[in-house]
Amino acid sequence: MIKIEFLFPEIANLFGEPFNVKYLKNSLQDVEVIETSLTDTPKFITEDVDMIYLGSMSEKSQELVIEKLKNYKTELENYISKNKVALFTGNAMEVLGNYIEEDNGNKIEALGLFDFYAKRDMKHRFNTLFLGEFEDSEKIKVLGFKSTFSFCYSEKQDNYLFKSIRGCGINKESELEGIRKNNCFGTYLIGPLLVLNPVFTKYIMKLLGEENPKLQFEEEAMECYNKRLEEFEKKETDYLQ
Amino acid sequence: MSETNNKSNFKFYLALFSAKTTKNILKMFGKVLKVNGSHVPGNLANKICPNFLSIVDKPKKIIAVTGTNGKTTTCNLITDSLKDLGYNVLNNNLGSNVLGGITTTFLSGVSFRNKARQDIAVIEVDEKSTPKIFKHVKPDYVVVTNLFRDSLKRNAHSEYIFDIINNALPDTSTMILNADDLISNKLKAENDNKKVYFGIDKLETDTEESLNIVNDARICPNCGSKLKYDFVRYHHIGRAYCENCNYKSPKADYSVKSIDNEANEINVAYEDKQFKLNMLSDSIFNIYNQIATVALLKEIGIKDEDIQNALQKIKITKNRYLEENINGYKIINHLAKGYNPIACSIVFKYVKNVKGNKEIFLLIEDHHDNKASSANPAWIYDCDFEFLNDESIKKIIVPGTRSKDIELRLLIAGVDKEKIVALDDESTAAEYLSYNKDNTIYVLYDMYQQTAVDNVNKQIKDNILKISNEKENSGGEKND
Repeated sequence: MIKIEFLFPEIANLFGEPFNVKYLKNSLQDVEVIETSLTDTPKFITEDVDMIYLGSMSEKSQELVIEKLKNYKTELENYISKNKVALFTGNAMEVLGNYIEEDNGNKIEALGLFDFYAKRDMKHRFNTLFLGEFEDSEKIKVLGFKSTFSFCYSEKQDNYLFKSIRGCGINKESELEGIRKNNCFGTYLIGPLLVLNPVFTKYIMKLLGEENPKLQFEEEAMECYNKRLEEFEKKETDYLQ
Repeated sequence: MSETNNKSNFKFYLALFSAKTTKNILKMFGKVLKVNGSHVPGNLANKICPNFLSIVDKPKKIIAVTGTNGKTTTCNLITDSLKDLGYNVLNNNLGSNVLGGITTTFLSGVSFRNKARQDIAVIEVDEKSTPKIFKHVKPDYVVVTNLFRDSLKRNAHSEYIFDIINNALPDTSTMILNADDLISNKLKAENDNKKVYFGIDKLETDTEESLNIVNDARICPNCGSKLKYDFVRYHHIGRAYCENCNYKSPKADYSVKSIDNEANEINVAYEDKQFKLNMLSDSIFNIYNQIATVALLKEIGIKDEDIQNALQKIKITKNRYLEENINGYKIINHLAKGYNPIACSIVFKYVKNVKGNKEIFLLIEDHHDNKASSANPAWIYDCDFEFLNDESIKKIIVPGTRSKDIELRLLIAGVDKEKIVALDDESTAAEYLSYNKDNTIYVLYDMYQQTAVDNVNKQIKDNILKISNEKENSGGEKND
């Protein structure tokens, strides 16, 4: 049985992102989804969990999540070092960095598991398309959308998740999108990323031990992916929205 | 000092004169020039005199209405009631609800000598424009209908909009708040503003758990524990409490005690008094708009019987809902704002619950983004397409660029593939209807899809006439 832990769904549930978990659940053969709330002890501390998911949330919720996960920082570090799967989407990724800087300069200390920081600008929301490449045993084109008040900055360039083909990475100047360590993935892409990217989703299913992954409504999902890919690859498509 | 005053006075009157002249020119030639003039004069005034909106003379009493859904209806109900009661009301119901439009409204209300002509202003304010408006206009009363997730690109999430409004609101305004909205009922909680709450008591249709995907009030705002609900109506609308601390929903000062569908009446209670009101619409959202109006009218001192009389005469304009019957076929056009998952979920639930079988057109995708870019489909995963997975819904026709995305979303919601027709555009959409008179045809549309909506409606009507003519020619109707 594959166990997926959905962290704090009562607050980290923006932009239809719970469907990342739901789609995996509907696609995997033998799976259990555990929903862990802010008042629970995360299951990855006490049980053998195969995947952790944390999605986009409000800025105030980020602080609640950081406060909560600070108690389990070492365990989370161990989890990642054991090559287990973790996916952090949207501003959930920022929780893993050193700190989040607010508009007034105040720094909210984060988990510090990755060497980067985030900076918010609550007066300007930035909306863009993104097309990039994920490279591992196979090369996969990943596409999606960003809608954000913040950007990430890092001195290091070696732990990114996707290399941009078009659309900016973790900040407006960067070609590198997201963060990665082993099988822990973080990306600014929001929304139902796994529904929109069936090829990447099948890669994750393989990591979870599904030898011949087959997605729910795979044919339709592939049709949507190919159509969107065509739109994203068109020269005249505006990336900024 | 006096020179500065003279200068600002000069700027103000120059702005007033220029803006009023522009307004008159637009009134005369706006149609020919194809310019919607509601914000142009206001923008000009603010450009010449940045403090214009502060200086312009205003009616003695100012009521502002904001919130995600129901602003326009609530504003219209308040305005129409006050007019019926003999007040001379200034309002922006024909103009825009952002800075330019609201400035135009106030400048329309004064003479060239800057004297306000009306007794009272009722102003609809866009949520994100509240900082710009409330910087200059300090309303005596602010009605907030509700706060929900809206366009993720513009409005991010409901907490973001909450903070914008909360920081913009003057500390002096009396707040008229929805007791049942667990987000907006916290506005100005930290300040001394007088707060008045409206609400609707528990209904038979309420549940213990939210049936919607989105509920943005699941944890206690004080301590972060999971909230317990006495009842949930939809999304985060309901009454809740925290078992861990003393947090609970506020008590409604003005509440709908019961709804009598047969008599078409609602029972309103406040203090130890009760009175009946004509129910203007049986939709729960309009009952909220109506009780919000009652709360406001009571607070400004209107008598129960005057409210009863005023609300007896008013009709809620159904410009977002059009029902037609053509040769026995029922066609309903219903606005379902695209990119607004809550508005669409509410419409989907409504359609599901209407008695009888239905066939539905979905024209809800973002026209603008698909034209030059590629629209973000994330919002459709916040939206309860699961309501459309219902025995009574026989067909769902989805024309447009994102039709395949919506088809996939419908499939994940459990809808049979056989029921879904995904098309690249609407050019042949009406061919897929069964033209069974027992099935009501619904066209659910986004406001920017008017061309496609007109096209679909024309096709449906043409096909109905064709079928009717064929039947008449073959004598089919006579034999039925």
